Amino acid sequence: CPDSSLLPETCTALKHRAHRVRIWVVKICSVFCLNVTILQVIFATGALFNAFWLMEAGRFVFGIGGESLAVAQNAYAVSWFKGKELNLVFGLQLSMARIGSTVNMNIMGWIYSRVQDLLGSTGHSTLGFTLMIGGVTCIFSLICALILAYLDKRAEKILCKEQGKTGEVIKLTDVKDFSLSLWLIFIICVCYYAAVFPFIGLGKVFFIEKFKFSSQEASAINSIVYIISAPMSPVFGFLVDKLGRNIIWVMFAVVATLASHVMLAFTFWNPWIAMCMLGVAYSLLACALWPMVAFVVPEHQLGTAYGFMQSIQNLGLAIIAIAAGTILDSRGYLFLEVFFSACICLSLIAVVMLYFVNHLTGGDLNWSAKKREKLQKLAAAE
Amino acid sequence: MLEGSRLLLPGLWLLASVSCLLGDAAGYRRKVTLQSIPGSNSSSANLLHVRAVGRNNTLHYVWSSIGAPTVLLLYTRSESSALRVNWTKLLSASPAGAIWVEPPGSVVYSTAVVFTKVFEYNGANVSALSKGQEEPFYPPYDLAGFSWQSVNHTVNQTALTAKFQGVDTSDPGGAFHNGTISFQVTAYEQGGRDGPLPRLLHTANSSKVEFIMDNVAPRGNSSRFMLEVVTVEEKGGHKRLQSVRSIDDEYTPTIFEMAQLVSEPRNDSIGPSFFQWKTTAYGSREASRENAIRCRYHPLQTANWTLPGPSIAHAYFGEGLGRSHHIAAINISFGGEDGEVYAEKGYLSWSALLGFGTPPKDAFSPLVMAIVVVALGTPVVLLLAGSLVVLFARRKRHSQYEPIN
Repeated sequence: CPDSSLLPETCTALKHRAHRVRIWVVKICSVFCLNVTILQVIFATGALFNAFWLMEAGRFVFGIGGESLAVAQNAYAVSWFKGKELNLVFGLQLSMARIGSTVNMNIMGWIYSRVQDLLGSTGHSTLGFTLMIGGVTCIFSLICALILAYLDKRAEKILCKEQGKTGEVIKLTDVKDFSLSLWLIFIICVCYYAAVFPFIGLGKVFFIEKFKFSSQEASAINSIVYIISAPMSPVFGFLVDKLGRNIIWVMFAVVATLASHVMLAFTFWNPWIAMCMLGVAYSLLACALWPMVAFVVPEHQLGTAYGFMQSIQNLGLAIIAIAAGTILDSRGYLFLEVFFSACICLSLIAVVMLYFVNHLTGGDLNWSAKKREKLQKLAAAE
Repeated sequence: MLEGSRLLLPGLWLLASVSCLLGDAAGYRRKVTLQSIPGSNSSSANLLHVRAVGRNNTLHYVWSSIGAPTVLLLYTRSESSALRVNWTKLLSASPAGAIWVEPPGSVVYSTAVVFTKVFEYNGANVSALSKGQEEPFYPPYDLAGFSWQSVNHTVNQTALTAKFQGVDTSDPGGAFHNGTISFQVTAYEQGGRDGPLPRLLHTANSSKVEFIMDNVAPRGNSSRFMLEVVTVEEKGGHKRLQSVRSIDDEYTPTIFEMAQLVSEPRNDSIGPSFFQWKTTAYGSREASRENAIRCRYHPLQTANWTLPGPSIAHAYFGEGLGRSHHIAAINISFGGEDGEVYAEKGYLSWSALLGFGTPPKDAFSPLVMAIVVVALGTPVVLLLAGSLVVLFARRKRHSQYEPIN
């Protein structure tokens, strides 16, 4: 049983809570996987029968399922790996997601043309078939979720015996208990991703017009961020695990991204440099930022915290994406880059404040890995 | 990296203010009048005279659709110089000397820009075109053979605009059944910036010409168009093609390049003339980024070019056109791999600025500067302030510690 340094009664209560969290996570994860699979099928069917409203409905509920899947994934990762290789696991998670995105971007076009040759026509039925083929991967995801659920249940049985259904209920109002450090982490997350994803979305024309790239080159440089993050995320995760000091890594990542945006906006230097820097910074941030949530939030609030973080990140992305499009149409790319730089600066302000808040309240976010290990050994020895 | 960008900003601010001052110095007000010179009964014989009077000098722009659409830019050192036209000679077979300025000898500088042809080609296989092989061109539209509507009704004295609108008289393919090619002229009294896209910055020494294709039916599924522009430079002068790239696309979103033909400076320090344009065209009367059409220019061709007649350039420059005058041609193509904007919208509009003096250059707007300074400065300030706070807190903790002995 974990945390055996505490009194037996508290241990039991904690076990109950941990168990309830586990069951919740398992159920939700499987449900969302099923959700995602079913809705990819609905989306593909909509395309097959040329019913755009059906496609929109499918995408809408897919959004609900898909994002919540990410939350459940994060909660799973923390419950299995906290105190151990958490940073590496987050890095690998991101890496797998990015590999998936890259494969999708490159293969789907090819599949579409193959299906087109097979069916002999373009149009909605070709699109529908292509999307159905894509849906096969969702089934694979569902199988993985079911295997994970089985493994988790098995872990329950081996580690702790199943107790009665007592323990604290998980409330949504836990949100008001979030500490200042957590809110600062939220701000960093929103402001950072708002300056990366919309930029990649709108970047192709920027590279074609400003740097005189061809269409293929512009697509290539646009996707370099994802291509870099696929192999680098586990490496950085491993690095942050070995060295600790998460806040310092986050600060490096934010400053590097700011430098990259400034380079792209104000100079004509080769944009490959800036984009590679952006890719490296993006991977580093993901590995160092997300595990920090596990350090500032008690276990029973973890799902809520991650869910909240995902949800405001997506809200921020949605709003900023619309704003970015409007700014681009009316004021052009220089203004847009300045706007993104301002977002990153906001994120940088939040990191700086987080560092000082953490330092002044004696928090453990910026401990080196050695210190953390020492304290864990001390706790285990008692 | 951050230090470099912070040095950049004061430098840019300085550049912006200096260029504003320079702009003001050259762009004082001129008194501009537009006059359509009545000549013959033929409505195609349009002659528009724009007279821009400044301090001790006058700029004459003579726009005409007699023959190929042409504009003459004449700079005179007198406020009372006037244009004279001999119509019978102008419309005859040898128009040399039919247009002149009185008092004679007051013209210090003259140049001409002629729009000769509109080419149409199949843009589907663009790579073949750039290699120069097998140009899939349709027969070109010769603008000298067009018939133009009378420019008299289109002259607007308050807005200082006029429009030359024409159709192909031969029109074998019926492309001009519903369509026209127009040149819209706008004169300026003082420096400023245009309202509609591409929001060219102009001075008082410049005029804007807008090439508009309205509903001309394309002859193929993926037709692209190309305009041939010929410049005439006198007394052995040359025009050079320059590409001005800027990081600032505030006024023309997503366009970072301004192309310009600038005449080389001469010994007598008479200011150069320029013909500049932003490398974009638009597919709608309400120009916006969504209907932008890719505009590309090809290298300036200078070797052994002769100006095909007729044109009022022959009337003004006379027989010297072939010998002492330098003629160069450039092709400007519209449309790229990004889609069939013209085929969908049936409208194409491209703006260019013709003027005298140094070509105007865009500068940063104060808003961009302000945001950059605030955004980049605040984290640094915060970092310093936070470090000071931490240092003080540490010193306080140390000072409260009392040694045991």
